[in-house]
Amino acid sequence: MTQPQPDDHPPVFRTWNQVYGFVLLLHVLIISLFYLLTQSYT
Amino acid sequence: MSNIDWLVLIGTLLFIVLYGVWKTRNISSVESYLLGDRDLKWWTIGLSVMATQASAITFLSTPGQAYEDGMRFAQFYIGLPVAMVILCIFVLPIYYRLKVYTAYEYLEGRFDLQTRTLAAILFLIGRGLAAGITIYAPAIILSTILGWNLSLTIILIGAVVIMYTVLGGTKAVSQTQEQQMIVILSGLVIAFFILLSQLPANVHLSDALGVAGKMGKLKVIDFNFDWSNRYNFWSGMLGGTFLFLSYFGTDQSQVQRYLSGKSLTESRLGLLFNGIFKVPMQFGVLFVGLMVFVFFLFEQPPVHFNQANLEQLRGTAYEAPLEALKVQSTTVFEQKRSAIDALIQSMRAEDQAAISQAQLRVKTLHDQDLQIRESVRELIEQHDPQLETKDDDYVFISFVINYLPVGMVGLLLAVIFSAAMSSTASELNALATTSVIDIYRRSLAPDRSDRHYLNVSKIMTILWGLLALAFAAFASLFDNLIEAVNIVGSVFYPIILGIFMVAFFLKSVGGRAVFIGALLGQVSVVTLYFLDHNEYINLAYLWLNIIGCFIVMILSVIFQQLLPEEPLEDPT
Repeated sequence: MTQPQPDDHPPVFRTWNQVYGFVLLLHVLIISLFYLLTQSYT
Repeated sequence: MSNIDWLVLIGTLLFIVLYGVWKTRNISSVESYLLGDRDLKWWTIGLSVMATQASAITFLSTPGQAYEDGMRFAQFYIGLPVAMVILCIFVLPIYYRLKVYTAYEYLEGRFDLQTRTLAAILFLIGRGLAAGITIYAPAIILSTILGWNLSLTIILIGAVVIMYTVLGGTKAVSQTQEQQMIVILSGLVIAFFILLSQLPANVHLSDALGVAGKMGKLKVIDFNFDWSNRYNFWSGMLGGTFLFLSYFGTDQSQVQRYLSGKSLTESRLGLLFNGIFKVPMQFGVLFVGLMVFVFFLFEQPPVHFNQANLEQLRGTAYEAPLEALKVQSTTVFEQKRSAIDALIQSMRAEDQAAISQAQLRVKTLHDQDLQIRESVRELIEQHDPQLETKDDDYVFISFVINYLPVGMVGLLLAVIFSAAMSSTASELNALATTSVIDIYRRSLAPDRSDRHYLNVSKIMTILWGLLALAFAAFASLFDNLIEAVNIVGSVFYPIILGIFMVAFFLKSVGGRAVFIGALLGQVSVVTLYFLDHNEYINLAYLWLNIIGCFIVMILSVIFQQLLPEEPLEDPT
């Protein structure tokens, strides 16, 4: 049985907060694209 | 269906199931069975989490929703990435530190046994009902379209899922879900390109988007706040965030997926993977539905997508009016087709006056078409009021069966069956785990051997599977299948979320107060739902998630003041 390993650093980014920031930034980008799509075709 | 389609369908499903069974052939302990040795990597967790949420209903109902209502349903998922981040920060570390099997175990340490049991029972009721719909929804549509027997279709989906979930436990669920998601995503991408290739040669993607936009189908984001509007940015961002916090943070069918991770890092990355890709994926599913809508602007659609309903009118007094409506529909379609060609030409020429004129013409003809479709529904209803006349859920499957090339029909059906099996497997696995860990082992039969709990877990999986099949056999259609599952979730999950919110953030509140708060909260939410359902109030169901959660939190604080009790020390 493999026990869960203790937490370590996230890949690519230095801290988890940077990872969360990246995910939320991407989300803002997606919402902006949705908004642009809505504006462009409505 | 051709032999090649059957071969693709059966071959794909058989490969996935056998692969899952083979990969999990050495399960020997209850921890392996329920937590899968905790050795999953982030991409398996991410795909498994996505597959659990994406049921067959997603692929049958969502494109139909885009066909009828445009892209605005995408806003339902707007809160999901936010919920994923919140869970990664606050909830995952707690579950990992306590090494729990289920989310509800934490509640006993924080409050007491009765609160843990209440949360587990609310989950079992909500998820048990949803599991029935998860099987029934695709079965009724597939059986209608393919001419299969409904009961046999339900049993076929249910039996295969029960078999591999019982044999391989949670690991089989995750392993098969990885393959199922690959089939699902590939199928969707291929369907999109086939749709694109089947548009008339002189109509490009930009034209298709232009026409859809002019017909009001491309309103993806709506920032206007409205309590009664089911899908706008605010209901998605606020109500949706709360729904997804409760679904991913407290619903065992999801918690179990990421508790099987090799480490906290893998689990976090798995959830964030879902946070990044879920919204684009749902947008993609809706976009396929939108393309089906555009496709049927150039190819005459049936007057009603559920052919079985039309068959019912044959040989009755309603056959003649139906035929008249079909003729009328053909005339309107031909006029609309010309008007759309004119609209495309005017958009290419960027001639605003001509665009407005053509747009008005298309809208007038589209409204006439909708009126004809409504008249057909009325005929069906007059013939037999018991028949379900909404046909949104039949749009995509009708397109698949009638317009996709040989081989692709089998693949797209494999997508739908894969989705049905992946979400049902997670549900059965989680229902069995909660029944065994939170009820049976904790309160009914403690201190038995590991082998005993393993066997009981397998029996519970079979029992929940049979119960889901029974629900499926007796279920009746809501007005929209995917909404039915979400409504069931919105009635039960906010209470569970409220309990967890009190546990995490209101440290001074004890078990007795939260228990009373949760019971009264559940009564309140059910009351609000029925008041809305019977049109005494107008409240979109997503708001129940916030309201229910806050009722539990506020009542818990009030009862803590009225019935003071020293809270237990936080186990974290």
